[in-house]
Amino acid sequence: MNQVLAIIQRELQHELRSRKAWLAILLYTASTVYISYLGMQGSTETSTHNAVFWLLIIFISMFATSGSFAGRESEMFYIYTLISPARFILARLLYNGVFLLAVSIIAFICFQFFIGFGNTNLLIFLTALLLTVWGISSLLTMSFSIASKGGGGFTLMAVLSFPLLVPLLITAQNLSTMAIGAVNTTGCGGYIATLLALDAMIAALCYLLFPYLWRD
Amino acid sequence: MIKKDILSKSWWKYLCVIFLTYTVIAGFLMPVPALPHLHETIRNLYFHVCMWFAMMYIFTVSLVYSIKYLNNPKEDYDIIASQSTYTGLVFGVLGLVTGALWATYSWEGGTGGVSWISDPKINGAFVALLSYFAYVVLRNAMDDEQKRARISAVYNIFAYVMMIVFIMIYPRLSNVDSMHPGNGGNPGFNSYDLDSHMRLVFYPAVIGWLLLCTWIASVNIRTERIKRYFHNI
Repeated sequence: MNQVLAIIQRELQHELRSRKAWLAILLYTASTVYISYLGMQGSTETSTHNAVFWLLIIFISMFATSGSFAGRESEMFYIYTLISPARFILARLLYNGVFLLAVSIIAFICFQFFIGFGNTNLLIFLTALLLTVWGISSLLTMSFSIASKGGGGFTLMAVLSFPLLVPLLITAQNLSTMAIGAVNTTGCGGYIATLLALDAMIAALCYLLFPYLWRD
Repeated sequence: MIKKDILSKSWWKYLCVIFLTYTVIAGFLMPVPALPHLHETIRNLYFHVCMWFAMMYIFTVSLVYSIKYLNNPKEDYDIIASQSTYTGLVFGVLGLVTGALWATYSWEGGTGGVSWISDPKINGAFVALLSYFAYVVLRNAMDDEQKRARISAVYNIFAYVMMIVFIMIYPRLSNVDSMHPGNGGNPGFNSYDLDSHMRLVFYPAVIGWLLLCTWIASVNIRTERIKRYFHNI
């Protein structure tokens, strides 16, 4: 447990120290939201808002996750000798999950500010956001590990992870449509359960499979 | 020495030819129930559904050999896993094509215009195929054989689990209507009253297509074995 905490602490320090990375993510978030605002002026269609929002979430997540991995291969070699892969991936999943959650909440606030969902059931919407982003972050962590071993970088990561993200996103979209409409929220329990199950499944797969990516 | 196993035996290939000849002849000539909308297109059942069965079967083989490879890194496991996946992709594409053909003439009132409809099962199958194409991209991105084998095995397991979720579990959860049996409130496949004449063709057709799938995969696998054999000496 101490080792897990130490890794998380180190990641956090790394993130805070490089102000460039933080600013880049914030700027990326704000500008993508603003561009979609410019493109959607006058649109009141909630399904469009919904689609654009989740699209933004994917791209922002990708950008944020890839930033936290890039250019740190040499550092990783040192960590390999210190800690077991299972603990490392645990720390990584926790850290990336919380990190992406923070970024996506900023994105959500930006989106509300510029575009706005209107009459929304915030509790359900934020639950959808939380659970989905957690799943996205685990999936991206894993596919980035695979892609970096494959030597393909960002493009390969996108190719590998986009198809796998679809189950999460479709469930999230259904759930958030209910939240935005705020009309009929009776069936949302099933979607929340699905999201929880997907998150648990992805995390379990990461935990089981990561050690095979570790050895070289 | 190049490995010899059941894949190089020929009795099951004769069986495959017999079953598929029967499928094609009986599939087009045997009587089928006259149903509204479907009419004679129901004969596509012997082809379209079997494509998906074959794809699922060969992807499962690939998954099993990927897991085996991670437990015990033998080169042959990697050959079987990768070549099975390639074969599965062919059957997946055929499944989409036969499905689109069927949809053109039976859905939307048989106007003969629409071949792609937003349906949970179609979306699932399409995304599953995309993720397996990503597997091919991943394999081609790496040169080192052992690394390629190990990393693609990891991705294969990941992709398979997500595929199962997406094409087997998700359509049953969603309240979206689906044209496929077993989803969105439709009855499951078994409770569908499959006509007894149709069963006579359908079951042999499934076996025949599964055998053909194995056959194609076996040719791929054996070619790859020979390639690696000559590469290594």
